[in-house]
Amino acid sequence: MAAVAGLVGLAAWVGIARPGGPLDVERVRAILAVEFPGRMLDAVWVATDGSGALARSGGMALVLCPIGDGFAARQIPWAQAVSSSFRNGQLRIDLADIAAPVATIALPSWPPKDLAA
Amino acid sequence: MKGFDPVQLATPLFIITIIMEIVLARLGKVKANYETKDTAVSLGMGLFSSVAGLLTAGVAAAAAIWAWQYRVFDIPMTAIWAWVALFLLEDLTYYWFHRLSHERRFWWAAHVNHHTSQHYNLSTALRQTWTGGLAGTWALWLPLALLGFPPAMIAIQKGISLVYQYWIHTEAIRRMPVWFEAVFNTPSHHRVHHARNPRYLDSNYAGILIVWDKLFGTFQPELDEEPCRYGIVRNLSTFNILRVAFHEWIGMAADVVRHPRHALGYVFGRPGWSHDGSRDTSATLKAAWVKGRQEDGSGR
Repeated sequence: MAAVAGLVGLAAWVGIARPGGPLDVERVRAILAVEFPGRMLDAVWVATDGSGALARSGGMALVLCPIGDGFAARQIPWAQAVSSSFRNGQLRIDLADIAAPVATIALPSWPPKDLAA
Repeated sequence: MKGFDPVQLATPLFIITIIMEIVLARLGKVKANYETKDTAVSLGMGLFSSVAGLLTAGVAAAAAIWAWQYRVFDIPMTAIWAWVALFLLEDLTYYWFHRLSHERRFWWAAHVNHHTSQHYNLSTALRQTWTGGLAGTWALWLPLALLGFPPAMIAIQKGISLVYQYWIHTEAIRRMPVWFEAVFNTPSHHRVHHARNPRYLDSNYAGILIVWDKLFGTFQPELDEEPCRYGIVRNLSTFNILRVAFHEWIGMAADVVRHPRHALGYVFGRPGWSHDGSRDTSATLKAAWVKGRQEDGSGR
């Protein structure tokens, strides 16, 4: 147990996680192109704090959740994304997946008026 | 050799080499990334896997001793030929255990946690299962006891295999000498095994000898033009260690409850199998990747 704590502490102290930084539209498109190859993106929303993103691809919403210095991606029906709860600038999307239960994305507003349907 | 446990003996080596990998990476001497929470989960899984293992070790050992009573041959533990034979047969058993653990969801549920890290470093090697004993894969080693190898001998060889597989979980070593890469499992071969790129899925199941993959058609070399992306097809979005350990079991149970008529498929089908074909398996992902390459005109 002490060895585990020591090794985790060392890893934290030296700081050798993957270099990342906040997401932007270009990077989100690049990540989604890898996660969902061949999918056309109609629109992309990047979290205001650069952690997480959401894209519409036809009838589906592609969701990007940050996890450490990496990401987890999921797709859900667009209608489900549109009806997700939005409070205090936080969109909370229930992904209905035990391995990725919820995505929380900071956005200025939701749902987008022109793409809500 | 009573009480000889290669894994226990190697534990100080695990600690020292992880420290070395972290320090050398910090100094820019080797390639390695360590994310704090990811490291904590890997090491936590390793720590508690030994506790979980104790719960089922008695059953596995009793089964091996029971099988040994009905052995076909009396194989001496002191003979070199016996160790050579066991080395080969145990490694072959490991290959099929590992392949089963990737190609059937029930056993994948026990093994998946080892692949959940998006990193590939020495700590990833210690991200071990908590439920492997419950999944019953230890039964695959019983034929060795029936053949006549003493259970203690089998346990030692399994430990040696596990210790061997530790050092190959690293990006710090690019390639071993050609002759070594041809025969043994190496960091390069095992990086491919941990990659989620469609091209690399379901390959390189070897324990110590990579020759089994070459023999059974599952070998895939690491390609410079396609760097490995680590993790699972649908990565976890949480560092909750309980979710890491049990998510596939829970997902499988939920599928069985929702679709009881298709229970066998959801339990013993390939990971990603669904009754309506709405999910991706390794095969569909690979097929889509091949199709995409052909459409891009980049097929080689």
